Amino acid sequence: MIRLGLRLTLAGGREAAIRLVITAAAVALGVMLLLSALAGINAVNAQNARYAWISTSVEFVHPHAYARAEGGAPVHAGARDPLWFQLSSGYVDGQLYGRVNVAATGPGAPVPPGITRVPGPGQYYASPALARLMRDHPADELAGRFPGALAGTIGPAALPSPNSLVIIVGDTPAQLAHEPGATKVTSIESIPPSGCDGPDCVVGVGIGSSGIDLILSCVAAGLLFPVLIFIGGASRLSAARREQRFAAMRLAGATPRQVSLITMIESTVAAAVGMAGGFGLFFLLRPAIATIPFTGAPFFTTDLSLNLGDVAAVVLGVPVAAAVAALIALRRVQISPLGVTRQVTPKPPGLWRLIPLLAGIAELALFVVIGRPGSTGGQIRAFLPGFVLLLAGLVIAGPWLTMAGARLMARRAQRPGTLVAARRLADNPRAGFRAISGLIVALFVTSVTVGVITTMASYRTGPTATPQVRNTVVDNFENPVSGSNQAVAMPAAMLARLQATAGVHGVTLVHANPLGTSYTINDHHRRFLSPGGLATCAELARTPVMGHCQAGARVVTVPPEGINPFGFSQDTEAWGMAALPAARVNRLPVTAIVVTTNGAGADDRVQTVLAGFHPSLGTATTIAETNTYNSANQVLLMEEQLADVIILASLPIAGCGLAASVVSGLTERKRPFSLLRLAGTPLSVLRRVVTLESALPLLVVAVVSIAIGFAGAELFLRAQLGYTLRPPGASYYGIVLAGLAAALGIIAATLPLLKRITGPEVARND
Amino acid sequence: MNAIEGRDLHRSFGATPALRGASVAVAAGEMLAIMGPSGSGKSTLLHCLAGILIPDRGEVRFGGQRVDTMNETGRSTLRRERFGFVFQFGQLVPELTAVENVALPLLLDGLHRKAALTRARAWFGRLGLDGLENRRSGELSGGEAQRVALARGLVAEPEVLFADEPTGSLDSVTGEHVMELLTAITREQGTTVILVTHEPRVAAYAGREIVVRDGKVGYLTPAAADAAPGQAAP
Repeated sequence: MIRLGLRLTLAGGREAAIRLVITAAAVALGVMLLLSALAGINAVNAQNARYAWISTSVEFVHPHAYARAEGGAPVHAGARDPLWFQLSSGYVDGQLYGRVNVAATGPGAPVPPGITRVPGPGQYYASPALARLMRDHPADELAGRFPGALAGTIGPAALPSPNSLVIIVGDTPAQLAHEPGATKVTSIESIPPSGCDGPDCVVGVGIGSSGIDLILSCVAAGLLFPVLIFIGGASRLSAARREQRFAAMRLAGATPRQVSLITMIESTVAAAVGMAGGFGLFFLLRPAIATIPFTGAPFFTTDLSLNLGDVAAVVLGVPVAAAVAALIALRRVQISPLGVTRQVTPKPPGLWRLIPLLAGIAELALFVVIGRPGSTGGQIRAFLPGFVLLLAGLVIAGPWLTMAGARLMARRAQRPGTLVAARRLADNPRAGFRAISGLIVALFVTSVTVGVITTMASYRTGPTATPQVRNTVVDNFENPVSGSNQAVAMPAAMLARLQATAGVHGVTLVHANPLGTSYTINDHHRRFLSPGGLATCAELARTPVMGHCQAGARVVTVPPEGINPFGFSQDTEAWGMAALPAARVNRLPVTAIVVTTNGAGADDRVQTVLAGFHPSLGTATTIAETNTYNSANQVLLMEEQLADVIILASLPIAGCGLAASVVSGLTERKRPFSLLRLAGTPLSVLRRVVTLESALPLLVVAVVSIAIGFAGAELFLRAQLGYTLRPPGASYYGIVLAGLAAALGIIAATLPLLKRITGPEVARND
Repeated sequence: MNAIEGRDLHRSFGATPALRGASVAVAAGEMLAIMGPSGSGKSTLLHCLAGILIPDRGEVRFGGQRVDTMNETGRSTLRRERFGFVFQFGQLVPELTAVENVALPLLLDGLHRKAALTRARAWFGRLGLDGLENRRSGELSGGEAQRVALARGLVAEPEVLFADEPTGSLDSVTGEHVMELLTAITREQGTTVILVTHEPRVAAYAGREIVVRDGKVGYLTPAAADAAPGQAAP
């Protein structure tokens, strides 16, 4: 029987060959996507592992891992020939770069990855991308920030991504010994950020364990689901013709078990051929896939690797899954020697299918009413189940929504094409929804993340983000250990350089306040006192985004929001007068510097001037950079990237799934369609039937999915932040519309088949 | 006056000739049975007369108008608006109810749905199908499905009804019932009927019979011998 099965599959004539090729091609595409997803997970881990060395010196984040040496300087326990290591960051062209200052205390000092030796004073190693930027920008915008000369480029071992901006600057131990945040270490950190869990993790560096979980779940839900649906759909192609053949075999005496065996052989052979093609496609497309910014940054091609487990899972799993899918498909029909009889019309989906969706909305709404939990863990436990319920609820409710939409359309249909399409969908809404469910998941994830990100960005930068606000550079001298602003002496030469920098409108120095004025700060989680600074009205007048002076004042107290970029606006507030003469205030040490510029490279030039000025006490940034690289926004941006990748990958898969479903539906109804054409029914009517059958569930459930996504985002924003959802930008609509258009385009590509298989010749000879 | 006429029709499928100079003329209101063994070319002849196939040679005229020179759109319009069809099996759209299937030609003609369904329902009583209006094709017996198909073929009141083995999948009793209905209604409406069958009992319902053999109309019943010039009785 196995030989007969192989004979029918491999030498069963033109039709069998076409079926084999189509199914194998579909499986190949599915396997390629599956391998890409698995390799993507490995690549995320590989990329993340290369973030580990960057967090080597963060002793204030991992207090338990470090001991204090004499003199208060922290040193890694067991130091023998330690390395001074100091991590800071900066911005160029609005992009974040990592700067590591190192100083070897002896020949046995550990060497960071990607370089062959620790750079000496006056030398630095730069990543290729940063070295390129340094070549392309005038020295006063970037290269001037790094003392010394380029000693070489940093190798991939130290770079999370080919376009990572990293620089390792050599210093003397004496220089670094006095810098806050610099530590002596005897080994380079090798635990990736994903290995770190809890509040001690370096937020914003790499991807935390929760982020990895997020990626895995998104990949699973967003990619694997539609891929499996697609493979299943492809295996059902030409099902009707195959079933007729099985009926003939039953008539000739084959048992149901033998028919099942032949089905399994046929599917397994197609899956095996497709699997080989899938591996070939994956390795062919791997360099292109690596350029997709899955985590916000592209991968090295070699990161997209497959381990033995992945290969084994695909090599064994796909043919087995294909055989099982074929058997399940066969179970839906009863093949008797007298022909194939379909089992009764499936029971329509019940109203209960809406319950998980409604429960998800109710769960999220509950926290709008009773308020969100105080702890981060509590918030995750509160909101995550709600979103999971909404996602699962959409998939569960999809067939019911499809049925409801189809019934409504059937009731109102005036055209025969609309009527036939609506009736078919209402008859079997599960099949109609199955092909588009992957797309629906992607649309939901995108709508939630885009809704949340757009609103948060809008509230944080909001309408106040005028060009003047965006082109303001703020350097808060924040002590990395205490978290509060530290007062530093302001050399007159530094102030003069800043004021003389091309494109600078004004410089305001915020001085330490000897009067001790404090303000109560209401953070989301806590309340505390924060000292206000002092500023002279002469300077403040040139940086109006900070605020302005009370009438008659020469010196004012600047509250904390006055130096918070998110508090900047053109609609400035009047700060209260301080009882100190301006001349005395100018002599006081400064806690922050605010510089307004005209943009056009001036931001980078100001940051270059400030780069060497207490680099360990925070980084000079613009509001746009602060917003982009804010740790919470980093997570949101990563989610947005993921959502974009998922939706862009899901759309073609969903389109292929739809195409397989359309072709399958056409071949099943070849005869009635042919006879309708023969009786004079215009081809356009049949085209309308086919298009509507696919487009209706796609559009109906897409609308519901987007609406539920935004509703979930609104409830989350209200409960968590007290924000109201803001409409997303044009790019969101662009992606959604382009995606839907692409899916419809793929459906349209199947329509020529309709003409071919419903011609008069077919009706005559079938 | 001839409603439809085919002259010297030739049609091959690849190297296999199906029609080799067949000629036939059918008068308005006449019921013609085309008989012949399997593979004789009788269905090909019907398809050429109905504008489904274009003959390789020869001409087909309907109401004096050349059908074989019309483009696909013209022939489709002709079939939809002036012809009706009944086939052996598989002609009902499985997703539609019986009444919607019957209403389909009216809907295709642009009639409002409510009006189309009302007109379609009227046929159910006429064909003894009362109570089956909302059944799907899978829920109908063979005879019921064929009567629904007959209703669909006639609902738009076509000038010519083409029936290709309309009772081929039915038992003799049911087949006879369907033929009685077909004959009665087309006579009442004055519809021309061209019927392909290989069963003499079915052909006997027709006013005239022709036999197709080897792609030629080889025998004409005497009653209509003069209706198709150029054909000789054996």
